[in-house]
Amino acid sequence: MTGRHSINAENLHAGYGTQEIVKSISCSFAPGSFTGIIGPNGSGKTTLLKAFSRVIPSSGILELDGKAVSDYTPAELGMAIGFVPQDEGRPFSYTVMQVVLMARYARTSRFAALTPDDYTRCHRALAETGVSHLADRSIRTLSGGEWQRVLIARALAQDTKVLLLDEPTSHLDLSHQSDILSLMRRLAGSGATIIGVFHDLNLAALYCDRLIMIQHGQLVADGTPAQVLTPKKIREVYGAEVVTSCHPATGRTFLMPIKTANGNGSSLKPLNVQVISGGGSGADLLHFLAGKGLSLSAGILATTDTDYLTAQALDIHCIPVLPFSRIPADALEKLKVLLSRADRIILSAHPIGSGNLPVLLALRDADPARIIIHMPEGRDFLSYDFAKGAATAAFENLCTAGAQCTTSYEGILGLLYQASLKPHDREI
Amino acid sequence: MTRTIPIIICLTVATVLTIVLCTLTGPAGFGIPSTVPGGADIVGGIRLPRVLAAFFVGASLAVAGAAMQALFKNPMADPYILGTSSGGALGACLAIVFFGGFFVPVFAWAGAIAAILIVWSIAGRKGVISVETLLLTGIAVSFFFSAIVSFLIAIAGQNVHQIIFWLMGGFWNASPSDAILMACILLPAGLLLFFMGRDLNALSLGEETAAHLGIDATRARWAVLGGSTLLVAGAVSIAGSIGFVGLVTPHIVRMLLGPDNRVVIPACILAGGILLVISDTIARTFFSDLPVGIITAFIGAPFFIWLIHKRGEVA
Repeated sequence: MTGRHSINAENLHAGYGTQEIVKSISCSFAPGSFTGIIGPNGSGKTTLLKAFSRVIPSSGILELDGKAVSDYTPAELGMAIGFVPQDEGRPFSYTVMQVVLMARYARTSRFAALTPDDYTRCHRALAETGVSHLADRSIRTLSGGEWQRVLIARALAQDTKVLLLDEPTSHLDLSHQSDILSLMRRLAGSGATIIGVFHDLNLAALYCDRLIMIQHGQLVADGTPAQVLTPKKIREVYGAEVVTSCHPATGRTFLMPIKTANGNGSSLKPLNVQVISGGGSGADLLHFLAGKGLSLSAGILATTDTDYLTAQALDIHCIPVLPFSRIPADALEKLKVLLSRADRIILSAHPIGSGNLPVLLALRDADPARIIIHMPEGRDFLSYDFAKGAATAAFENLCTAGAQCTTSYEGILGLLYQASLKPHDREI
Repeated sequence: MTRTIPIIICLTVATVLTIVLCTLTGPAGFGIPSTVPGGADIVGGIRLPRVLAAFFVGASLAVAGAAMQALFKNPMADPYILGTSSGGALGACLAIVFFGGFFVPVFAWAGAIAAILIVWSIAGRKGVISVETLLLTGIAVSFFFSAIVSFLIAIAGQNVHQIIFWLMGGFWNASPSDAILMACILLPAGLLLFFMGRDLNALSLGEETAAHLGIDATRARWAVLGGSTLLVAGAVSIAGSIGFVGLVTPHIVRMLLGPDNRVVIPACILAGGILLVISDTIARTFFSDLPVGIITAFIGAPFFIWLIHKRGEVA
């Protein structure tokens, strides 16, 4: 009878006329899930969504609640699937309420009037999307965002278990975006199957449990936002360079664009980042920065240092030196060459004694605007100073010269891509 | 809409008054002309069938216009948009040129139906067709038929006058059977479109929207087109291609009552009938039976402009 999946598609093909847009997509959607369909422009997201709602003919298996979609009558389908289009023409001056009441057509005979229950349901839908005050307004006088919320209210008033949304927040401002998507989350929480097409990947990652990425009409990734939104996948599918991170406040994956690969037809060189750390202070940081499309280098590290082991494990270039000994002059020379090449220098605060003080002093020759100092929350320079004040003075000199300080890794990422910091102008 | 019922009642009263007063009006004077021999025959045998024919034709055109505007999501659509009038004109011309004016209504009816069938079959060749394809095909077929009509006019010789008069539309030859025929088409087709009011509402937001709302959009489209075609072909065969009533009446009705087609369709029956009966009465009483299409356009166009100006927007 009823399958575990509310929508099940196998080997689905769909398109307009002879042009096939969706090519052999198989996926299924469980009740209580909120799935985002993502992919570049023209990849077939909307076509897939409309194939689900049967307004675009498809071949292959398409089941709704365990029953072939082709076996549904149009009215049954109108009671099973609600659809929110990207936009809809408004040639006539219907009132908002008249448009939302159309949601109840599928449930009433054409020879009967709508019941008070229908009106109650529609008023509730208007309230849910925050457009109750517009009920008697002509739809032609609404703004794009108001109209979009009316269309969402109409789909809600259909009282369906499945809700398909085609870029439901494209016309909405920030607060209405979160209102609508939170509402969708709550609906999914109460057992509805929500499937939305999204252009804004961060919004999709923030609200969806699952993302489906399609390209050229085929499924290329399917999983949690963290699994799907990797810099590698984004580069392959969108041709865009991004860094991914964990949002500090929500804990969800988020993306930051760097540069697009197809900007000038050639890939841009990755940012050259030099990390200066020691005593294990850089191990986590190196892990954090690895795989974000950066060209990393780890500076002078003693071979017993955790940071050294991390750099080795992550295949990051460094200048190894013997532990508990003076830094050899040639190592310092190598470091100075690295520093001169670096687009950014991240100085991870670590204990400075007379042994490694020369490294800190070498930074004096670097452009301070390129230096980012990572100082953990609640610590100060003095607490790292084992060189009788010389280290504190060196830190402070860097700060006054223009180096930027931050307490978090996200802060480091932000400073790395700050517009004011131009990448190094490398000569040939 | 709290004012829907009072307005429908007013329209019904106006309909009755219009039919009665216009039946009593004519070039022979107001009331039952006692001075003229056979005065009662004029009222019952000539005026009444003509008034009723005009009423049913006006109602048919207005309803078909409202349906086309909803179906094509375009307030500028008119009942002839898919080529019915040019098809009817071609049929009538053929009858006038080659059959000496016999069978004009039959030919006009066949021409109108043929035009629609040609448009359907051309537009429907690729399986799934959009209303846009249908609309463009209709316009193309219209122009093609109009070209043939122009050609026939050019070679028609002394029949030109007859063709031109037919093209402008009128009720000179309206007989009781015409009125009955039109009523027999209007009753089922009008009821069909009335009960498809909500389908029309949903279709007027787009066929995909209608489908998403649980409407069988394809079936609804063909039913609407079928009903409208019968209405328009009937009207064209009886009275030629009378302009403006089918375009303007739905606008006036929507300005009064809003765009809900479950209200617009019945109101169009009354309002379209009233407009055409009054226009025809003016034509035959004051302008020695000028083609009524001239009157509808002459009064209708300025009135429409005034309405749009007053409203500031198309309803």
